[in-house]
Amino acid sequence: MNLKLQFSKWFRTNSTIVLLLVPLLLLALLTQIFGGSLLYRIVTVLFINLLLVLGLQTFMGNSGILSFSHIGYMGIGAYASVLFSMTPEAKAATLPDLYPLLQNVHLPFLVSVLIGAFIAMLVAAVLGYPLMRLSDAAAVITMFAVLVIIQVVLVHWSAVTNGPRTLYGVDNYTTLWVSVAFGLLGVILAYYFKESNIGLMLRASRDDRYAASTIGINIVNVRWLGFMLSAFMAGFAGGLWAHFITSFSPYAFYLSETFAILAMLVVGGPGGISGAVIGTVAVTFVHEGLRQIENSVNLQGGGLVGFTEVFLATSLIALLIWRPGGILGGREISWPRRKSQSQDDQLLSGSEKS
Amino acid sequence: MLELKSLHVRYGAIKALRGISLEIKEGELVALIGVNGAGKSTTLATIAGVLRPVEGTVTFLGESIAGKTPEAIARKGISLVPEGRAILASLTVEENLRLGAFIRRNHQEYLMDVEENIALFPILKERFHQLGGTLSGGEQQQLAIARALMSHPKLLMLDEPSLGLAPIIVDQIFDLIKALHNRGVTILLVEQNVDRTLEIVDRAYLLNTGTIQTSGSANQIRSQVDIEAVYLGDQ
Amino acid sequence: MLTIDFLINTLSLGSLYAMLALGLVIVYGILKLVNFAYGELLMIAGYTLYILGGLSTTLPWFVIAILAVLVAAAISYLTEMIAFRPVREKSLTAMLITSFAVSTLLQNAALLIISPRARAVPLPDFFSQSVALAGSNIPIRNILSIVTAVVLFGALSLLLKYTVLGIALRAAADDFRMTRLLGVPANLVISTAFIISGFFAGVVAIFWTARTASVTPTIGAAPLLVAFVACVIGGMSNLLGAVVGGYLYGIIYSLLSLWLPQYLLDYREAFMFLIVILILLFRPSGLIRGNASSERVG
Repeated sequence: MNLKLQFSKWFRTNSTIVLLLVPLLLLALLTQIFGGSLLYRIVTVLFINLLLVLGLQTFMGNSGILSFSHIGYMGIGAYASVLFSMTPEAKAATLPDLYPLLQNVHLPFLVSVLIGAFIAMLVAAVLGYPLMRLSDAAAVITMFAVLVIIQVVLVHWSAVTNGPRTLYGVDNYTTLWVSVAFGLLGVILAYYFKESNIGLMLRASRDDRYAASTIGINIVNVRWLGFMLSAFMAGFAGGLWAHFITSFSPYAFYLSETFAILAMLVVGGPGGISGAVIGTVAVTFVHEGLRQIENSVNLQGGGLVGFTEVFLATSLIALLIWRPGGILGGREISWPRRKSQSQDDQLLSGSEKS
Repeated sequence: MLELKSLHVRYGAIKALRGISLEIKEGELVALIGVNGAGKSTTLATIAGVLRPVEGTVTFLGESIAGKTPEAIARKGISLVPEGRAILASLTVEENLRLGAFIRRNHQEYLMDVEENIALFPILKERFHQLGGTLSGGEQQQLAIARALMSHPKLLMLDEPSLGLAPIIVDQIFDLIKALHNRGVTILLVEQNVDRTLEIVDRAYLLNTGTIQTSGSANQIRSQVDIEAVYLGDQ
Repeated sequence: MLTIDFLINTLSLGSLYAMLALGLVIVYGILKLVNFAYGELLMIAGYTLYILGGLSTTLPWFVIAILAVLVAAAISYLTEMIAFRPVREKSLTAMLITSFAVSTLLQNAALLIISPRARAVPLPDFFSQSVALAGSNIPIRNILSIVTAVVLFGALSLLLKYTVLGIALRAAADDFRMTRLLGVPANLVISTAFIISGFFAGVVAIFWTARTASVTPTIGAAPLLVAFVACVIGGMSNLLGAVVGGYLYGIIYSLLSLWLPQYLLDYREAFMFLIVILILLFRPSGLIRGNASSERVG
């Protein structure tokens, strides 16, 4: 009886996480039971995307700063992890110029992915620290500059990336359930980060950076922590993706992917975890579904390149006109509470015009 | 000429105005007085279209203007000289005046207006080709008023024109407001300098935390409330 | 080492970069929008050259070129009216993402409607000819780009200095709210800025596509990056700064090409962006300071 009471108390404050995890888990189960190979593929990608987008949400949603370099950390995580997970023979075949030190390293899958994520986080920590003091246009352009720099390095550092060519021979370790497990872990991590003290401080700095610094919040430091966690999640997602797709080139980590994850986050609303989850699910299904149609038309000799992006971009523009804060506008879905509480949450639209 | 009826305005979750109603007739000089945060500047900004009211009406010359854009309201003949003067710093004095006449297209009239304004503000003649940002505070205030007059406003709104100016310049500004009033310009004035203001205005409204506490002629205001007490915060 | 042809080539490169930067900054200065769809305006001008060049063999080249520039300006205006205007007053983030979406949309529309493969653009003969000058062969195209830039900068400064609309544009970059309070319509100012922006993108596109005599859907990416770098060097809210930044970037780029060893040359873009980051760290509103446009925290 007491246990039930305790649970219902916990549930009342944490209903969001349950309401997000249960349907996702159900989706994975249904895919496992009924899914064909196509659905299996899409859902696996979906949960990797979920980790990636929640990583983006962790920084962008809480700090309010657009992070254009996020896909770059995914790329670093992908390349770094496969350097550790591939067999020496496979490496010799695809990366003949690899440094001898790395040539013979061969670590288990998850250890490699973890190392990749740490490297991505390290790069973000070093490159990112000085950027955390910037806002507005300066922040946008420098973040973008970081993405360009990562891209240039990935394309030209032939010894470890095989240059602009495809790197192949990665073992397929990322199964549906590996992806599901880490995707759901991502939901939990992002949710509790948002609700943590640091998350709260970060959101305070987003809403009013002067007020936040007057109450003693070190904005640069909390942004930096959020940024590192964000890059870690992106790097981890990159590692999972690399071991799912098994061959890829640096061009998989650039502008069109940046657009895709931004769309996933923005459609649902970057301010909340629920928005990120809903956006990722919706955009992934549309994206992968249309991509499938595009490919089958092209196989029959038609030319339908770019249709998916045209559709997504048009929808995103329309959505931003209709709801600039995303579908959920930053709110979390939660079990209906008593009215008196929810009235406080009413969003009062700012009345100042620019 | 201008009528506000139970106007409510918010900044996000903060209610800045809670039911302001006031009226200004043609040719009047009316002041809004009250402590900081009473809602005086908010009222002016709402009339000028910078802020959008949540509730209530703004009627100017029989036409509702609430929620219209600032440029549309400027074209109707309302001119706001904002607090801090908002001189376009990288434009010359001449260009500031020229933009002040933006809604009037006749170049001949523009040239005449410039002459007239320069006669009113002789310092602007000396500074004519200087950048607005290089002017002193008092000169900027004169330029801001001159610029507003270039559009021949039917209603001129001045937000804290004496703020941050040396006492001798403050005298000039008040003389100027009086002179404009005598010329028949309708003026809505927001001022901290209550004593000086009550000396020159026809009527005044005393605002307090977003509502109108009292209104009337200068003498009525003086007799009804102890102005010093209002500004010291205890009544 | 500093021969006349190196000088002319550098100036020519700088002229293109300066025009690119100017087109980006004229919108940024007023709207604070970093327009990611700016590069696609070059692409559109390029495809207009291709389509008109293929459609009619009788139209003189310069007519086609002028039409291409006008189409870029028109599309720039349309993107403003359809995509940016509705989100303008809501949030800067929404506007930035919109610009990213517009960029993706235009690029992929070109993929879908035309082709992923490069398409040839018509070039007049004099574009591939050279003149002898002080013992060097100077491509006419390079001289032309310098002259074009000088003429356009001159025309723009006359417009900004002597027309009411031009004064309003400068005023809006100074204080947009006050400018509106004076009765200047926001839409008029912003649309004009977008049209000028598209105009400069179109002009640069003619020289940019001439390098390879072709246009691809992704041709806008490189000039966009150039414009970013140049306007950061020059100061992001200052038109003169943008022009200076463009020329400076042209000089730095040429010198890097001259001095960097081959294996580092591949990383030239990365170096440029590292410079950008360093500049923004120490001077968040760009190297040449205009009005403070962005603030540092901490």
